[in-house]
Amino acid sequence: MSLFAGVGGGAAAGEPASAGGTGRALLELTPHKLAVCHLVQVFAPPAQAGGDVVPPSPFESVAHHNRLGLFLFTLTRSCDDFREPSLEELLRQLKAVDDLTNGCLCEQLTSTLSVLISPDDLFNFFDKLRGVLTAPEGAGAEDILLDPNSQLGVFLRCCILAFNSMTFEGICHLLADLVMYCNSTDTSYDLAEDEDFDTEMNNLMDADISSQADIFEKYRQGRESESHMGESSSALTRAPMILHDLDEANTFKVDEDNPTSLRSRWQLEAYLNQQADLLEKDPSSVPLNSFNATMTQLQTLAPELHRVQFLQYLNALCHDDYIASLDNLHRYFDYSAGMQGLFGRSVSAVQDVIVGKYEGALLCLGNLHCHFGHPKKALEAFSEAVRVSQMNNDDSCLAYVLGAISNLLAKIGMSNTVGIVSSPYSLGTNIGLGTPLSIQQQLLVLLKRSLKRADLLKLPSLLAFDHLSLAKFDLKNVQRPLVSFGPNASTKLRTCPADVCKNLRLSSRVLSDFGTDALSTSSENGSFSTSWLRNLATASDSRRSGSMRSTKLHNDFDNFHYLGQPSPIPSPVLQLAGSSYLLRATAWEHYGSAPMVRMNALIYATCFADAASSSELSLAYVKLIQQLAVFKGYSAAFCALKLAERKFPSSASSHIQLLRMQILHERALHRGHLKVAQQICDEFGVLSSSVCGVDIELKIEASVRRARTLLAAKQFSQAAAVANSLFSTCYKYNLQVENASVLLLLAEIHKKSDNVVLGLPYALASQSFCKSFNLDLLEASATLTLAELWLALGSSHAKRALSLVYQSLPMILGHGGLELRARAHIVLAKCHLSDPKFSVTEDSEAVLDPLNQATEDLRVLEYHEMAAEAYYLKAIAYNHQCKLEEREEAAACFREHITALENPRKEEDSLAY
Amino acid sequence: MASAKETYRAELRAAARQLGERCLYSAAKWAAELLVGVDLDTSPAPSSAMDSPSSSSAVSAGRLLHLHRSGGSSFRHRFRPGGASSSEAGTPLGGVSYVSTPIPDDDAFDSGGDKYLLAKTYFDCREYRRAAHVLQNQVGRKAVFLRCYALYMAGEKRKEAEMVEMEGSLGKSNAVNQELVALERELSTHRRTGSIDSFGLYLYGLVLRDKGCEDLARTILVESVNSYPWNWSAWSELQSLCTSSDVLNNLNLKNHWMKDFFLASTYLELKMHEEALKRYERLMGIFRSSGYIQAQVATVQYSMKDLDEAEMIFEELLRTDPFRVDSMDIYSNLLYAKESLTALSFLAHRVFLTDKYRPESCCIIANYYSLKGQHEKSVLYFQRALKLNRKYLSAWTLMGHEYVELKNTPAAIDAYRRAVDINPKDYRAWYGLGQIYEMMGMPFYALYYFRKSSYLQPNDARLWIAMAQCYESDPLQMVEEAIKCYERAANSNDTEGIALHQLAKLHDVLGQSEEAAYYYKKDLERMEAEERQGQNFVEALLFLAKHYKNIGNFEEAEHYCTRLLDYTGPEKETAKNMLKRLQSGFPSMDIDNFAL
Repeated sequence: MSLFAGVGGGAAAGEPASAGGTGRALLELTPHKLAVCHLVQVFAPPAQAGGDVVPPSPFESVAHHNRLGLFLFTLTRSCDDFREPSLEELLRQLKAVDDLTNGCLCEQLTSTLSVLISPDDLFNFFDKLRGVLTAPEGAGAEDILLDPNSQLGVFLRCCILAFNSMTFEGICHLLADLVMYCNSTDTSYDLAEDEDFDTEMNNLMDADISSQADIFEKYRQGRESESHMGESSSALTRAPMILHDLDEANTFKVDEDNPTSLRSRWQLEAYLNQQADLLEKDPSSVPLNSFNATMTQLQTLAPELHRVQFLQYLNALCHDDYIASLDNLHRYFDYSAGMQGLFGRSVSAVQDVIVGKYEGALLCLGNLHCHFGHPKKALEAFSEAVRVSQMNNDDSCLAYVLGAISNLLAKIGMSNTVGIVSSPYSLGTNIGLGTPLSIQQQLLVLLKRSLKRADLLKLPSLLAFDHLSLAKFDLKNVQRPLVSFGPNASTKLRTCPADVCKNLRLSSRVLSDFGTDALSTSSENGSFSTSWLRNLATASDSRRSGSMRSTKLHNDFDNFHYLGQPSPIPSPVLQLAGSSYLLRATAWEHYGSAPMVRMNALIYATCFADAASSSELSLAYVKLIQQLAVFKGYSAAFCALKLAERKFPSSASSHIQLLRMQILHERALHRGHLKVAQQICDEFGVLSSSVCGVDIELKIEASVRRARTLLAAKQFSQAAAVANSLFSTCYKYNLQVENASVLLLLAEIHKKSDNVVLGLPYALASQSFCKSFNLDLLEASATLTLAELWLALGSSHAKRALSLVYQSLPMILGHGGLELRARAHIVLAKCHLSDPKFSVTEDSEAVLDPLNQATEDLRVLEYHEMAAEAYYLKAIAYNHQCKLEEREEAAACFREHITALENPRKEEDSLAY
Repeated sequence: MASAKETYRAELRAAARQLGERCLYSAAKWAAELLVGVDLDTSPAPSSAMDSPSSSSAVSAGRLLHLHRSGGSSFRHRFRPGGASSSEAGTPLGGVSYVSTPIPDDDAFDSGGDKYLLAKTYFDCREYRRAAHVLQNQVGRKAVFLRCYALYMAGEKRKEAEMVEMEGSLGKSNAVNQELVALERELSTHRRTGSIDSFGLYLYGLVLRDKGCEDLARTILVESVNSYPWNWSAWSELQSLCTSSDVLNNLNLKNHWMKDFFLASTYLELKMHEEALKRYERLMGIFRSSGYIQAQVATVQYSMKDLDEAEMIFEELLRTDPFRVDSMDIYSNLLYAKESLTALSFLAHRVFLTDKYRPESCCIIANYYSLKGQHEKSVLYFQRALKLNRKYLSAWTLMGHEYVELKNTPAAIDAYRRAVDINPKDYRAWYGLGQIYEMMGMPFYALYYFRKSSYLQPNDARLWIAMAQCYESDPLQMVEEAIKCYERAANSNDTEGIALHQLAKLHDVLGQSEEAAYYYKKDLERMEAEERQGQNFVEALLFLAKHYKNIGNFEEAEHYCTRLLDYTGPEKETAKNMLKRLQSGFPSMDIDNFAL
């Protein structure tokens, strides 16, 4: 027990040490900052007693003056950025601001900087700077242009103070940097993110070394000619330097020169955050090894910055490297545990997860196992995290863990028979109810607990996440009271779409609430100013904008906004808000409203693409393309698919790959290319993991498709067997929504195999499932099947069948796809035709209209079997009317489709699009 | 034979001189030490050196026996006893014929000889750049080497200075030796044109290693030692690049006698203790009084847990070489393990007076304070040692232990982690990490570390037991996994006997009484063999008695009951009752309820 007491004490003792290590230093002086200082001085020259000229000398108008002021303001704000612009870039930006004075400011700047060649020059430079802030003798305080407490004033004061506290060695280093800075005037300053990045990284060290060696060489030559150090470095100014590589080196000089200051740490963190966002957004764009090389580089430069290891963990995770990610995770938390200061300024969702100490490690470990599909290990890790965070009173971490557990439970299928946490700390006892709960009940309780905590602790992003999860839960599960006693406890066994809607709306509140969270800090770290500057540069230089990589995911509307400003809303918030729209689309898919699905998916794809991860964005595209396939036929869908594949390389996006296979399979089935269909089914089966309980959705889809292929091949008993086993799987994992469609499939199989009586109960069961889960479109389809079954029982039931069809028609015509509509039309026609009281000659339109509609739709779908049926019915109708010519025509069409179905030609075409 | 030794001596003598000429001080020191260490047949020196061990060998005769039983090495009587066997020991080792390498002629002092002399004096005074400058236009190989070496040293010096200048909150900045690129360029040209000697190759290897081109560095160093085998610095650089036995086996080394030193030392580093010991024993035949070999042998013995043996060698070493600091940290670890406080304090005092600013000295003092229970001071000295040498592996691990004592968990984790990052094969540090996390109530998290450590040291029962205890702990309760781990532990010589007992208990918990009985029985046998008794003994007896009664083997049950009567406590009463029942012929009645 004393050991535990020690843990707490030790941790407490560790904190001040780490805080001391950070050292609240000022900003570090870099050549870039010297340049900005000089510009500030130009902006606000040392006040002359009495000379109150506005605007000061080089400026032509107040507006001009103000524009420079604004520029300087953003420059000083963006000093937090990881990279500092090169002199060249600064000059370019300056030119964009100062187009009136014909670049006189630029010349002034370069000349000022290039005469700073000895330590004494630097002293004088800062002496002059001091004059900007202090009023000369005899002048009132109001004569000073620059308020010492303004942004610029504080910046200047920081610089002066930093210089004053600099050692002589530091000044020497600053001078050496300045020489390099002035020399690198014709290089681009982007951190290359290309494939050849790693080689550049390798060169980096060399370049750095050699350039410094050059300096030394020059220095020695200078000594030999008995000159003074300053001259020798001015000789250097003329010396040609290694261009690009040197500049690369410069990016890292930011942190290597004066790492004493906190600012450089901020800059590094900003860089790391940016990389983390990139990783999350599109892992495929980050090559595993070269990224690791960069990170290793950073690590040697700043071994105490352990976030680098976290990024390596993320990188390994994104590239599915289990061992490396595990190692890096442990390494990161081993090193960083005591250092809380690192997480104070969190920007992306990734970091505000790491709230505690080691419980954060467990949270990440659990997520890692979850990612790699080890649900049991993940649960062990999570339950340990719950325990530790309870022990350490880390409420926010607890809330996150609960959220993560519910995510896990929702994501990974687990049958009720598996005890999820095999320990006395299991969730069951935590909840305080003696009776064991089903997974779903546990999930609900957890979600609610997490929600409550998030609300109490004011964690809007978690709150939004929980609302989303709840919506997801409500979508697929019937909420029953946990404890119900007695006969009075009558419950309405239906899902509640209103709840889903409510939760979805609540989750988008994160957009307005994020200010209260730690998330808001991101708007203060200068990234906004940085992008402002970047855009400025883009505008002034068309060459750069031309070289922008087009494959990046951008909001499409950016194209309409010239110089579009980045959204001030941090991307994790946008992401959460965006997922609510994506979930809306999914919800409507279930509830069966095609226009709503399209609308929400479109909103997501247009408004949230900037922040979205590639997998989520591709999901939105998938939804849109699926809609196209159902409503516009395959050719339209394949056109869109080609576009999407260009946008998301198929290797990276499993969604797109799946979509392709889905559409191909559908088309093969419709065309009657059964071999191709079978082949695609097999591919589906291979895609899912062999581990039980993982990739449940994929496995179910594979089984469904297999059953349908078998059905199309008229192997009814096998199809029924597959569907039956599928039903029991769904039942085991409590997937009721899937069950509804499986039941319908079973009914379909029995209908086709002429076991009508056997089919009826399945259709009815499916219908009732659909009712309780509000699956309106599926219900309409079930009703239609029911009608067909009744019809098959004999013409005496035609009336009943007709009423069923009429009942489902509004839904089907409003929201159904081509196939469903055609089916409904055919059934309608069949009902009429088999009704003995109905005479075709009297009301031929009632039969022919729907049939014409159906043939039209089926032509688009290339669905031979049903098209043949439609033509057959048409022929009969014409026959009744004694329109022989039309009858022959329909019969010919019928024959055409039947031969196409029975002798499939060019099957391999079905794989191409 | 004498002539063989004479050749060794001649070679070493020349090597020490040549290395000294080139300012490769530590290699020269090593060669000279070894030169003195060669057994002199004619002089009486070896017999006097033999005196002390032979006097102590009588004392430790009993211990020797013990060592033999426990599978310890037979190395002692191979090289210790008297000069009688020395004639055999001197014969070529194990029938291996060595390739003789001619001693290269030194460049005769050419026209630049005086300048070289000046440069060397500058170098001796640590004025490296000046030395390099003097040799600017010299083309002799020796001059080129010294100039490059001086530049390298100058770069190193500047690097050290910069590391201090630019130290900050982010840790070490990327201070690098700025001469590396130029040196690499020059040396690679020399190598291509063939105008490089083995010393130049050594320097080239150093440069390449610093630049991170390890493979090439290895090749170059092999070239260097093949052409000039007496440069121990080159060998030890090569050793630091051999991180696994695969790498070692792929080296293309000429069969010189210096290779034996290299192999032995590398085996030690790779924890192949038996092989290392064998090599050193053979070398000991020739270099009888070499302090270096003795220290290495002692280190091997210490790593093989032959503490007494190692202690004796260290004591003798200190007697002959009282101002030695090298490897004395190992001696202090040994004394720590044996808890001999006085000896440790004596050692600490001695090294303190010799050179207190050696990392080894600081480590020894820290060990002393740790043994005294003054952990704060101990940490202080470990920190000092680490300041002197950031890569001092054992200091990190030991400091981790101290932090654990101080209950400063984050600091302990940090220290262990650094040890692991310096050498990922340090199973002690992995184990320490696991222990800390287990202490913090995170057994699942700790498992990762225990797994790592037992992977590195699969025959260490302690590691398996630690892992099993994690699995067994309240939050996890993964009994089956725990059983597997305990089985491993029981199979790998578990001296404390925890594994068997726990195995029995766990099987009992799972209701597998057959297995439980099997393990209880084994445990009993073990305890009997070690003549240990205690609660576990009683527990085992009681279980076995009950078990045999339940399965109807009354004879056995009676046997165990009678044995239980020798002990006091409630179990005795239970046994009495049980015996009564057994003898009265109503064994089937359940008496457990009354018993407890």
